[in-house]
Amino acid sequence: MNLQPDFERLRKTVRHEEPDRVPLCEVLIEYPIQGKFLGRQVTQDDLGSQVEFWARAGYDFIPLTVGMMSPGKVTQESSISRVIRETMLKDSPDSRDDKAWNLEYTSFIKTREDFEKFPWELASQLDFSKFHQVKDLLPDGMKVIAVSGKIFTLTWMLMGFNHFAMSLIMDEQLVADVFSKVAEIQFQGLEAILKMPYVGAVWVVDDLAFGNGPMISPQAFGDHVFPWYREMAARCHQKDLLFFMHTDGDVMPLMEDLIQMGLDVLQPIDPTCMDIVKVKEMYGDRLTLVGNVPNELLRSGAPAEVEQYVKNLIAQVAPGGGYCVGSGNSVPEWANFDNFMAMREAALKYGGYPIKR
Amino acid sequence: MNRSIEQIKEAVVAGKHKEIVGLVETAVKDQIDLNSIINEGLIEAMDIVGRKFGTGEIYVPEMLVAAATMKKGLAVIQPLLKGAASQPKGTVIMCTVKGDLHDIGKNLVIMMLEGAGFRVIDLGVDLSAEKLVDQVVEIKPEVLGLSALLTTTMPEMQRVIAAFQERGLRGSIKIMVGGAPVDAKFAAKIGADGYGKDAGEAVQLAKRLIGVH
Repeated sequence: MNLQPDFERLRKTVRHEEPDRVPLCEVLIEYPIQGKFLGRQVTQDDLGSQVEFWARAGYDFIPLTVGMMSPGKVTQESSISRVIRETMLKDSPDSRDDKAWNLEYTSFIKTREDFEKFPWELASQLDFSKFHQVKDLLPDGMKVIAVSGKIFTLTWMLMGFNHFAMSLIMDEQLVADVFSKVAEIQFQGLEAILKMPYVGAVWVVDDLAFGNGPMISPQAFGDHVFPWYREMAARCHQKDLLFFMHTDGDVMPLMEDLIQMGLDVLQPIDPTCMDIVKVKEMYGDRLTLVGNVPNELLRSGAPAEVEQYVKNLIAQVAPGGGYCVGSGNSVPEWANFDNFMAMREAALKYGGYPIKR
Repeated sequence: MNRSIEQIKEAVVAGKHKEIVGLVETAVKDQIDLNSIINEGLIEAMDIVGRKFGTGEIYVPEMLVAAATMKKGLAVIQPLLKGAASQPKGTVIMCTVKGDLHDIGKNLVIMMLEGAGFRVIDLGVDLSAEKLVDQVVEIKPEVLGLSALLTTTMPEMQRVIAAFQERGLRGSIKIMVGGAPVDAKFAAKIGADGYGKDAGEAVQLAKRLIGVH
């Protein structure tokens, strides 16, 4: 099976055509898994090894983060955490205590005054160094997918979820203003990456739903979140870039909105609460689906079970294009490496077009 | 049902936080029985809110504002209550288990339990089994609610239950579990007393576990 990176493979799938094989696709594979694959340690700063991993493992792109928050360790490794630690808590005795700055524990914008004094200017200083470094490392056919977004997640994290949710009804203007500021910064990042010809897509990573449905009403998403993503999708399409979204949870009540806003690809079709076959039947002609191999299976299953799962998945949703094999979220370090390999190898073994049922 | 109580109930369900205090004050002035205002107005309203959330008719923001509205109404009445009438339905300790920092679900359950008339002690996130046992010994709640978002922290729930067994305290506490990766089968397997799939169900479960309505 052809392992040569070819971003056109992915583009063809998104056009609902059948390329040579079903593409592999992940928004995040943690460094220890990459290291096991390459047989040597891979670190956050070792971009050469990261590119080598994604290319040799059969992916057509490498995902690189631009924005205030990265997927995975969302608050620990993100620029927004650095800004909070280095400015807001600079003189505080609590600055060494992660409960004082980590947005998983705390929040900073409760009032209009908090909003006004938040260091937005510093938060908007995004780091593009990896994007500049990577262009000389990419093998032929491989592109970068810029991981961005988190407009919704970052807004509620800055405000604290309960406070955000209640303010959405009781102080809607404050919420709208925080959304605007966060989106403005993400758009600055977007404008810079749209000028980079080796970027093939933008991947917004923003969890919109719990397992039992959307975190806020579809109406509230329509008022405050989707207009930003509609604009982002339009800017991407103007530059011939694809527009991806990652969201956990059951987003069935939001599917029409997501399609209407110009989404090309949805990942990971959360297997804990969504039926990918049903999603494919209902929306598969308008949207490409990625993922759905359960993380619990990758953690605790046997490689043979993973292989069978991927084989069935490909048979059910890959014919005609519009599907890429991937995990049900991302590939964390606690995934069993043999199961990651089984997922990947099954995709290569059973994913050649035309699909044999 | 009395029209004033009906209006109070409707105001909570609709999250009319600006109107609730006036409505409850009027009902009190009209000498409507305080327990009826609480039970048939405020608490019944939260039952409706829990059901609407469970069926996807409303979302978290609407549920939280309804709970906040209920609490504002209750705050008008509480100083007027004496003795047993002001006693909570029971005491519940809530927390996420060791290793899990995700507290959205736990906080929703707390709001709904408080709305239903429980006293809730929120121990926060990332609680070890040993610490939990110590806290339960000290606070003596009727129910302990454990929350986990991650499949990797689910086994910690079993450790908590084992810790109570080891200290000979399992019979003195009802343990309910919940969170995205948890289900009724898992709850039964680890020996929990019950599982709630969402905040509304958690309230019904807590009531059932200690035999109150």
